[in-house]
Order: sequence, then structure tokens, then C-alpha cells
Amino acid sequence: MTPALLGNLSVSLALAFSLLGLALALLAYLQGDGRFLRGARALVLPAFLAALAAFLALEWALLAHDFSLAYVARNHSTKDPLWVTLVTPWAALEGSILLWGLLQTLYTLLASRKPLDPWRASLVLAVLYGIQVFFFGVMATIASPFQTLPNPPQDGVGPNPLLQNHWMMAVHPVLMYLGFVGLSVPYAYAVAAMVARRYQTWVEETRWWTLIAWGFLTAGKVAGMWWSYEVLGWGGYWAWDPVENASFVPWLLATAFLHTALVQQTRGAFKAWNFAFVTLAFAATVLGTFLTRSGVIQSVHAFAEGPVGPAFLGFFLLATGLGLGLLSRVSREVRDTALFHPFSREGALLLGAFFFAGWALVVVLGTFYPLLVEAFAKAKVSVGAPFFNQVSAPLGAGILLLMGVGPLLPWRRPRKEVFRNLYLLLSVLALGTLLGLLRGYTLGASLAVGLFLYNAAAIYLLAREGVLARVRAGLSPWGFLANRRRVGSLVVHFAVALMGLGIAFSQTYRLESEKTLYRGEAWEVGGVRLTFQGVRALDEGRRFAVEALLGTGRFGEVRPRLHFYPQMNSPLPAPKVIYTPGNDYYFLLMDFDREKGEWASIRLIVTPLVFWMWVAGALMALGTLYILWPVGRAEEARGVSPA
Amino acid sequence: MKPKYLLGLLVILGALGYMVFGGLGRNLVYFLTPSEYLQDQARYQNRPVRLGGLVKPGTVQYDKDRLELRFVLTDGVAEVPILHKGTPPGMFKEGQGVVVEGRFQGGVFQGTNLLVKHSETYQAPKAGWTPEEVRKLIEEAK
Repeated sequence: MTPALLGNLSVSLALAFSLLGLALALLAYLQGDGRFLRGARALVLPAFLAALAAFLALEWALLAHDFSLAYVARNHSTKDPLWVTLVTPWAALEGSILLWGLLQTLYTLLASRKPLDPWRASLVLAVLYGIQVFFFGVMATIASPFQTLPNPPQDGVGPNPLLQNHWMMAVHPVLMYLGFVGLSVPYAYAVAAMVARRYQTWVEETRWWTLIAWGFLTAGKVAGMWWSYEVLGWGGYWAWDPVENASFVPWLLATAFLHTALVQQTRGAFKAWNFAFVTLAFAATVLGTFLTRSGVIQSVHAFAEGPVGPAFLGFFLLATGLGLGLLSRVSREVRDTALFHPFSREGALLLGAFFFAGWALVVVLGTFYPLLVEAFAKAKVSVGAPFFNQVSAPLGAGILLLMGVGPLLPWRRPRKEVFRNLYLLLSVLALGTLLGLLRGYTLGASLAVGLFLYNAAAIYLLAREGVLARVRAGLSPWGFLANRRRVGSLVVHFAVALMGLGIAFSQTYRLESEKTLYRGEAWEVGGVRLTFQGVRALDEGRRFAVEALLGTGRFGEVRPRLHFYPQMNSPLPAPKVIYTPGNDYYFLLMDFDREKGEWASIRLIVTPLVFWMWVAGALMALGTLYILWPVGRAEEARGVSPA
Repeated sequence: MKPKYLLGLLVILGALGYMVFGGLGRNLVYFLTPSEYLQDQARYQNRPVRLGGLVKPGTVQYDKDRLELRFVLTDGVAEVPILHKGTPPGMFKEGQGVVVEGRFQGGVFQGTNLLVKHSETYQAPKAGWTPEEVRKLIEEAK
């Protein structure tokens, strides 16, 4: 038994189980026969086990340095440390698809355990099996992780050094995939709801899935930003790169869906919007993979070179067409009949969802625009970051504005006492902005201060309202914490406001300076006194490192590095970042005297409030976790009772 | 929906549309070769462009104390002088295919970002290459 044999066998088995499962699930729906459904359900576990075996086969091949596999030869080296080897399955395309497929089978397994009426259960399984068929079909044909080489090399080059430079790269892709795949369950339920014409309960039934997908997407995004900041060496965390945009769009659409789903759960309205948003959010995950993996970004012409691009594009069109096609068929039945005042909770939630969806549309337009220009005008262009920043600033500010007032508005129509709160909040906003202006901040940064304080005040009002209501009813005020959805969402909203403040300040105030220093020379910059004490070279086996020794006084000795990897022509910077609550100090070694180590070019980037963005990211994840924790158990408990 | 809300929605959509299409036009960064630039100089004056070409051998001057890198970018037909503030990237050398982001100011291209097109299969351009061939070479040598 070789890893290739085990891998190929497992992929084929996973594909076969998924195909059979799809056929049985469709038969169960069409024939209305419970035996077919039992059959389809029984195949969920074998499909997962086959996918797991395939994944383990790839790990085995990597650990055993089996360079007869093309994937191992291209992405692994005997010099890799153990942790790099273990995460190499998601360092390139084929392995990533395998991980995606494995997570899909896991989610199908978990989702199939939930009792549901047989019609929708068959349809949900059919959709999830259909997605599995796509992924394992791609693996079995055009992007096999187990392709063998006729003449295996003795050693490989290892994964892309950018991915080895920080442990976050082990975590970020898995979080993203857990989020992407998580959206498949609400999507499957939505399709089932539209086919079976039972439009109401699916959002409540998939609440846990929507939240967990959102939580993972958020954590994955923030982890990616942190990685970009600490590894890429330009001192930024977001460049509006197509790869970043590709995962931002599903997040935006999932956020829109999360908020409109709330309305259907509590008020029964927005059914059509929810079908549309969940379809678009799921389809966006596939579109993102198409964008980043087909080479279409480099050039339209790269698209036709590999079969993976067309396959993902086709799957995207199929997923979108299925969701939106079904929606157009049932649109008459899911139309909202109840009227609501635009100045109500529903109104704010829907407007907020429009902001998120509009933002997604703008990002998609900006990302695809160069392709259109290249295809039709034959000119090669790129859309600069200023475009994305210009359109994102007002959209982000609008969302922050809605986020504060929305939760304070009552359902259906505004009540008088709301206006008192609203005037209070608007005064906080105005005062905060004025305070910022008086301190000499730019208008944008001042507005960010105002919006942060406005949101903090809104959260205070909401928490106070919740606590007072309990005290009036003679209950312990601490019981408010048991309202996990409310408390968790307040934590997440506070984190979003904090993130907004961090983004506004780090984008507005950034000091970047570079200088060539001779040994012993001191440089006063950005409130730091740097003394260059020399360079040191280190041989670390898989790479060669050069570090500059910088005395800084307040931070002790700081050692930014350059890493030289044998498989890379140019060295990779490994910046040294000192976080403080006010400013981040980002030290970079740019160049050095290769003969005597007498001089080095050092760059220092000082950015305010970046530290708080990572705090905000952690708070978003924790807030989501706080909401999810008991809901998961409650669902399990509900799972025991027969449907 | 009442007409006044519809009107509000239209205003919002219009503002968004103006923002997007106005913004796109203003922030489009053209990817050019030196010949393409010289054919239509007025059009690209003071707007961000990406110039692609080869570092002309014998023209590189780097002053590490002032952090100024000067060289001539060529596509075999036309040449453009470049002034880039900052250290040259690790792979920067004569005859190398590079992309410089920046803008023209007074006859000199002020680069803000310098990207080296690295490729194992890179070939030096032969004499008499057309810009189209150089461009293809640069695009391929990603």
C-alpha cells in the first residue's frame, strides 16, 4: 500500500459514496420512499471516512517524504519542520480542494443528524451530496492531489516560503474553509425550503450553521490580516488584493444574510431576501475560489489554460442559478405582505443588509473591472486601492451608524421614547466628532471617534435597558448575561466599532521612514532612538537568516531579519513588530552591507491603534462563541426528541 | 412601496453608481510599456501608471545614503528615466524585467513601488525586439 494508492482509492470511494448518496436522496424525494432516505443517510459516514482517509494519505505521503507524488514534490522538502509538513496539505490548490471536500463531508455528516421532515431531509442531503460530488469529482479528474511522477526527485522545494514565515498560516486557511463550507448548510436548507415550499422554519433551523460560518469567516479574515501585517513586510494589513477581496465578498454577504435572517426568525418577514442572500453568500465562496485559483486575475487569457477555472465558474453559475431560479419560481409565495415602517428594527436591518450587499457588489465590480477592460478594450489596467477605500469609507460609516441605532429601534414602528435615545446618541456622535476635530484629527478620523463613542453609548443604553427590565421584574440583574444572543451581539457590535476606529486611524496616520545607518550610528525617528549595532548571519537549515541588531532604548534590542530561502530568488523580510496600546512600531531590515556588515538600510513604520484591531478580532470571535455555546447544546438536546 | 421611499432608494442608488463609476475611472491604473507611454504622454501625466520594461544595462545608479535608485527602463524601442525612492528589491539587476508603479513628473518617472518580475525561465531580450514582444515577455515572466 502506498500513499498514492490509498489516496486515489479514498477519493474514488468518496466520489462514489457521494454520487450514490445524491441518487438515493433524489429518489427518496421523487418517490417519497423512506427507505431511499435511510440509504442516503447511511452513506454520510462512509463518505466522511473516505475523505478522511484521503486526507490522511496526503499527510502520510508528506511525512514519509514520498516524492513520487507530484503534490509532495512541488510543495514539500525534507528540510521542512514538522509543523510546516503537517499544514502543507493546504499550501497549494489540490490539497486545499481535498481539505474543502473533507470539511464538506464533515458538515454533511453533522447536518444530516438533525431530524427533519423526510421531504426536506432528502433535498438537503441531495444538495450537500451534490456539492461533494463536485469537489471529489474535481479531485478525481482535473486536480488530483495524488498524481504521481514518473521520475520522482530526491528532494522537493518545500511550500511557498511566505507560508512558512508565520504560524498563522497554519490556521488562517482552515478557518476560512470552515467558514466557506459552513454556508453550504443554510444554502442546502434554503434550496430544500423553496422546492418543498415550506418557507418559514429553515432560517431558525440553520441559525447555528449561519453563525458558526460567520464566526469562522470573521476569525479567518482577521487571522489573514494579521498574517499579512506580520509577514508581508509592507506594514499594512489590507491591500484590496483580489485574493483578499475574494474572501471579503462572502463575509459581506454572510453578514447581510445573518441580519435579515434575524427578521425572519422573529417576525416571519424578508423570506425572499433571505433566499437571495444565502444563495449569493454561498455562491460567493465558489466565485472566490474561481478568482484566486484560475489565474484569471493575472490575465484573462490564463483562464483557459487550466481546467480548474472553468470547473469552478460552472459550479458558481449552477449554484447561483439553482438558488435564484427557484426563488423566481416561488417569488409570489414568499413576498412580504406585512408593512413595516422604515424607521423600525426591520427597516434598519434591511438597510444594513443593503449596505453590506452593496459593498459586496462594489468590491466584485472593482475586482472584475480589469478583466472587462482587458477583454473588451484590450488595455491592461488595475483598479487601485484608492477606489476601494473611497467607496468603502462611506459604506462603512453608514453601517456603523445603523449598527448603533438599529438594535434600539422597536419592531414594526418607532415609539416616542426611542427618539429621546436617538437624540442622545446623535449628540454623542456630534460631540465625539467635534472632540476629534479639536484635537486636530482629520474629518474622517474625527468621525470615526464620534462613531465609536456613539456605538459605545448605544451599547450602554441597550445593556442598561436589559438590566433595568430585569430589576423591575424583581430578577437578578446578572441574569441579563443569560440572554446570550443579546449579550454576544453587543460584544460583536462593540468589537466592530473598535475595528472601525482602528482602521480609520491606522489608514489616516501612518509614519514611514527609511535610512541607511552605519555601525554605531543613531537615528531619532517616530519617537524612537535607534542605534545600529551590526548584522548577524544565522544558518537555520532550511533557510539562511540575516538579522540587524538595533538598540532602541525603550524596547530593548530589536532584531528585524531577512530570510533567504533556497527556492526563492529574493530574500523575504521578517519584520519585528512592537505593539503598544497607542502605536505599533514596525522595524524592517531592507538591505545590508554584504561584505563587512558596516551598514544597513532600516525602515520604521509607526501606525496607530493596530493593536486594537487584533483585540477587536478576538472579541468578535469570542462574542460569536458566547452566542453559539448553549445553542449548540440546545440543538443537540432537541435532536434527541423525534421529529 | 410608497413613492417617496422609491425616490430615496433611487437617490441612494444614483449616488452609489456615481461613486463607483466615477471612482473607477479616476483610479484606474494603466499598465504600459515605455513606447506606449511616449505615444500618448499627455494622457498619463500626473496619474498613477504601472510601467513595465527591462532595466537598461549600465544605467543603474543607487545611492544607499540618500536611498535613491535611478535607472533607465526600456522596451527595446523607447526609454524612460526612473527615479525610485527606496532600496532596490533583492532581485533587482541589470537586464531584469521590472514593473514600476508611480507617476510622471517633469520628464522623470517617480516610482513609488518597484516590483521585480522573477522567473526561472527569464531570457534577455534580443536586439530589435518589438515592444509587443517585450510586453509579452514581461507579462509571462510573472
